Amino acid sequence: MSTIVQDRYTDARARFQMLFETRQNRPGSQGSQVLEQYQRKAIGLLETVNFPTRRDEEWKYTSVNRLLQPDYEVGESLPLSKADIGPFLIPGLDCHLFVFVNGIFQESLSDTGSLPAGLTAMDIAGALADEQARPAAEAALNRLLDGKTDAFKLLNAAFSQHGLFIRAARNAAVEKPLYLLHLSASGDKASFHNHMNLVAAEPNSELSVIEGFFELPASEGAYFHNQYTYFHAGDNAHIHHYRLQREGREGFLVSNVEIEQEGGSTYASYALDLGGRLVRNNLRTRLNAPGTTTNYWGAYFAKGEQHIDNHTFIDHAVPHCVSNELYKGIITDRASGVFNGKVLVRKDAQKTNAFQQNNSLVLSDKASMDTKPELEIFADDVRCSHGATIGQLDEGAVFYLRSRGLPDAEARAMLQHAFLAEAAENMKLEAVRLYAEQLVHSKFGE
Amino acid sequence: MLKIKNLKVAIEEKEILRGINLEVKPGEVHAIMGPNGSGKSTLANVLAGREEYEVTEGSILYQGQDLLEMEVDERAQAGIFLAFQYPVEIPGVSTANFLKSTVNAVRKAQGREELNAAQMLRLLREKIRMVGMDEKLLQRSLNEGFSGGEKKRSEMLQMALLEPKLAILDETDSGLDIDALRIVSEAVNQLRSPDRAFIIVTHYQRLLNYIVPDFVHVLYNGRIVKSGDKSLALQLEEQGYDWIKEEADSVAAV
Repeated sequence: MSTIVQDRYTDARARFQMLFETRQNRPGSQGSQVLEQYQRKAIGLLETVNFPTRRDEEWKYTSVNRLLQPDYEVGESLPLSKADIGPFLIPGLDCHLFVFVNGIFQESLSDTGSLPAGLTAMDIAGALADEQARPAAEAALNRLLDGKTDAFKLLNAAFSQHGLFIRAARNAAVEKPLYLLHLSASGDKASFHNHMNLVAAEPNSELSVIEGFFELPASEGAYFHNQYTYFHAGDNAHIHHYRLQREGREGFLVSNVEIEQEGGSTYASYALDLGGRLVRNNLRTRLNAPGTTTNYWGAYFAKGEQHIDNHTFIDHAVPHCVSNELYKGIITDRASGVFNGKVLVRKDAQKTNAFQQNNSLVLSDKASMDTKPELEIFADDVRCSHGATIGQLDEGAVFYLRSRGLPDAEARAMLQHAFLAEAAENMKLEAVRLYAEQLVHSKFGE
Repeated sequence: MLKIKNLKVAIEEKEILRGINLEVKPGEVHAIMGPNGSGKSTLANVLAGREEYEVTEGSILYQGQDLLEMEVDERAQAGIFLAFQYPVEIPGVSTANFLKSTVNAVRKAQGREELNAAQMLRLLREKIRMVGMDEKLLQRSLNEGFSGGEKKRSEMLQMALLEPKLAILDETDSGLDIDALRIVSEAVNQLRSPDRAFIIVTHYQRLLNYIVPDFVHVLYNGRIVKSGDKSLALQLEEQGYDWIKEEADSVAAV
């Protein structure tokens, strides 16, 4: 006898399919028939996959039930002024600014003029029509749709309206970072926002990309931001990727970041997760050629009813590669956190150095943290280590600080700050690091 | 300034202090000496407000207030300073930020104006020079990886910055070489003033070569069994603690 397990979220899927067919103002395709084809393909493929349930090992600690309940409508643009976005700009950072509101590009708020030689940034429809950009854009889209995929990536591919194609040309050291600012607000109904970035760093290029995810102040209700970002790091390319996230109290965020690295390249992720009702980050790197370096630095801080889940994966498929990973976070109130760090060292990946560490402070009885280091090592000449701790504040340190006159709350905040600082202090761009610290600081005040 | 009456303290139901009486007046320096395990550090920690210790009897009045009712930070804000025997290493908290925060927290609590960045820097520089500390330590995490001597200097720097009314040094001399000992004693001597009192807890007499106490008390088995002037410390140095123990034990036996 066989049992057919019915997809628990059939209704949710049907609603998304319906939403795709009926979505208003169709410029979702950016007027591009080619892109439209990809989008149609994606929504078609949605029929073939199920939304994850907690029976899936990868989703054991995170239920998407809450996220799939609302009857979403596609997010709409809002009339914002430059003053409105001021609080989300990074003081002292000279950057190429791309502003998106509810997933829709805001040209008047952005600062995308005069891109330097060697940097291309255009919408994906444009890239598909551009002789030089097309091969990379197509390859990335085909990879997304033909490879091992999931419901959230397919939704993203179907619904992304103003996806970005970014390319650093061969040998180009792009001086100013790109800041992709995503602002969200709920409408009358729960709103659904998607954004896709396809980033190609050609050989010997260097590029910094900052993604910011924030809720606009007036917003209160539920929304779902579904993000997909793909990086291809060519030979000896260097990519610095920052993610600063403070979604709203009722905001849902699913972020899929996928990286492929060629020989001698570096990819560094600096992530700060502070907001959101339910957050799931997937960060996955595949190493295609020897000599690469991959750094994952992450910090998270969940309060109230928040749930923040970081799933990371580094696939050491080839020898002589290095990966370092440090995730640190604080979970308090009734919040919950998940860290699942998978490192796969394949049989041929000799001389791999892979280090992973996850440390969490769990500060209340009702808070919880699930941490799962997952090292699978099939090569025999490697150096790999992992460590995971879940603890509380050192009361000896609290006493010491208080004995110098710091009130209890201040002493605890100082120690919590210090705990998170270690993961943030690796940020190479000082302006971003200071802004991240400021975000953390304001989180303590909430 | 400080009146301790019949203080009895237990930790995990084991009685450690068995009725301490001590009065400290402004300007005085009291040395508390005694063999290991006599309760010296317990006394220092109870004064600073460590919570593992249970006060089972007696009272402590500090400037007319019930000290035992005050929180740890309130004691510090009211001018009590404990120099730790083993200062805690705190990774991620820069020494400079910590010092600035404590100075202003105490000033704020005392209703004094908080210092701005320039005033703070001037104060820090002045006191660093006073305790002979390397300014580079300010950029490091608090006490992390500091040598024994550096930790003690860091404690003395904090004391100099917070300008306490009652400073308690808990075996601050332990593990110090002669140069570091000089640093500690110079800091204390410079801070001696008619309105500031010190309680110096020490096992050895040698720190008292540099800091001349007004009173010396010998603690044994949780009680002060002998009090005197600085000559008592010298006598202990020469004769050790055995004669004190014998004397106290014979009294207890009667």
